Amino acid sequence: MNWQAMVLSLKLAVCVAGILLAAGMPIAYWVTFSRWRWKFLVEAIVALPLVLPPTVLGYYVLVGLGPRSFPGKVWQSWFGHTLPFTFGGLLFASVLYSLPFAVQPFSASFETVDRRLIEASWTLGASRFATFFRVILPLSAAGAVTGAALSFAHTIGEFGVVLMVGGNIPGVTRTVSIDIYDQVQAANYDVANRTALVLLLFSFLVLAAIYGTNRRALSIWRRP
Amino acid sequence: MLLKANMSLEVAIEKNVAGFRLAVEFTADGAPLGLLGPSGSGKTMTLRAIAGLEKPDCGRIVLQGRVLFDSEQGIDVPARARRIGLLFQNYALFPHLTVAENIAFGLRELPDAEKNRRVADQLAAAHIDSLAERYPATLSGGEQQRVALARALAIEPAALLLDEPFSALDTHLRSALERQLRETLGNYGGSTLFVSHNLEEAYRVCEKLVVLANGSVAAQGPKEEIFRHPPTLEVARVTGCKNYSRARRLPDGRVEALDWGCTLRVAQQFAKPPEHVAIRANHVRVHPPQKLNLENSGNVFPCWLASMTETPFRVTLDLRIGAPPAGSDDFQLQAEVFKQEWESFRNLPQPWAIELAAERVFLLPD
Repeated sequence: MNWQAMVLSLKLAVCVAGILLAAGMPIAYWVTFSRWRWKFLVEAIVALPLVLPPTVLGYYVLVGLGPRSFPGKVWQSWFGHTLPFTFGGLLFASVLYSLPFAVQPFSASFETVDRRLIEASWTLGASRFATFFRVILPLSAAGAVTGAALSFAHTIGEFGVVLMVGGNIPGVTRTVSIDIYDQVQAANYDVANRTALVLLLFSFLVLAAIYGTNRRALSIWRRP
Repeated sequence: MLLKANMSLEVAIEKNVAGFRLAVEFTADGAPLGLLGPSGSGKTMTLRAIAGLEKPDCGRIVLQGRVLFDSEQGIDVPARARRIGLLFQNYALFPHLTVAENIAFGLRELPDAEKNRRVADQLAAAHIDSLAERYPATLSGGEQQRVALARALAIEPAALLLDEPFSALDTHLRSALERQLRETLGNYGGSTLFVSHNLEEAYRVCEKLVVLANGSVAAQGPKEEIFRHPPTLEVARVTGCKNYSRARRLPDGRVEALDWGCTLRVAQQFAKPPEHVAIRANHVRVHPPQKLNLENSGNVFPCWLASMTETPFRVTLDLRIGAPPAGSDDFQLQAEVFKQEWESFRNLPQPWAIELAAERVFLLPD
């Protein structure tokens, strides 16, 4: 049982979920309420990680952030190292990879908010910003929880992107899924089995807890 | 009576949306103004444009001297800064906030003491103190309406716009709530616009009416005037007139109703030759056949019953003048009569006598 890998996976998943809660909301808001005619292009880009093989995404992150690229050079001049094969690089790639898992539930729940409630808020003097925090967000709490839960779970289960961008550095980028793969490669089936089982149970419990709360949160306001 | 200084709301806007053209122009003063029209006539769109939720293509909206929208000067005050209370058709209460929180929603900028005072005032005025801590989902339709009105009034709006405020309610709740609304509007100091497709409701609540048809103003003025002398056929229809016929003026001053096949004496003076002659269904009288033999006031003709519809206290009779009908939809006029009256002639042989009293018949120029 590799506790180091387990802790690293958790840390990565919590960071990804947190970042996507903050960064996914404005994207989802824009996707939901913008009337720009080319909006569908942005929607397609956000949804790309759903269909792209993780190796393709990983490859572009690797090249895009590598020492020879412009962003890579800028990053190196500020922080003294490049992003690939660091926790930061892995985090960046994971956020991209889980983006649709956050943005789509957020956007779907924003859409369920009755347009007239938003307009009522405006006529009562609230700005768009205030309307988001006082009306839209409270009424789409379920979607926020779902989006965060899905990005969390998706990150725990990530394999290809981690391998491409993170490499396999113990304590830095070796996550549970990589660790299990390594154990199987080394024919340590006992260890692989135990780790896999713990991961399975843990993922199930987290999701069950989130969906359970989710349902109760919904029922408070939508009582018949 | 409150002194209403410059309580005017001037609206002159145009907007084209997907094949529909809205072009309206009217002015409201302190008295409640009713916007009456069938669904799809542009009532709600007009209301939304005034509230700032819909942007007109061009025109001007001025509320109490404050320009809210002016396409030429490029002025378009956002909805949040217009200070207009809008009562939505389905009330649009925030489901995650209590009644008190809903009412306080627009009062965020105020100090707590002032905010609490205003919420308490509104709760008391709407007689909903006991509901303060409840959530909207637990309220009845009538209670929701009162909360929504209290929420709109709490921001002390310069104008109050009511979009079909009774359409979401059961019939038995309406009259009590309507009375309360009239009382509330009586105490309110700003301009009120009341949108409705129900003419009786609009008549009871408002002093003046604007009749909309197909996106433009078909009539405006004091309500009695519009009901007594609708200027056009369209307005006659919107105000609930069910009987009209093409008309021709005769040399002796009488009018021939071409679709009804009869010649009528009329009381109304007219300058232009009338295009149509009309009479409201509740003004059409039906008598036992004996009346036919009396050569008295005129405008009495033999009629036959094609079909009828019953309501608890009245019946609507579909009638044909001059000859028995070929079928249940072969009729020219509708008469609304009380049940007792109906009992007095229902079992007598037809034809009955239909009376289109000269002072009830009105003429439409176009």
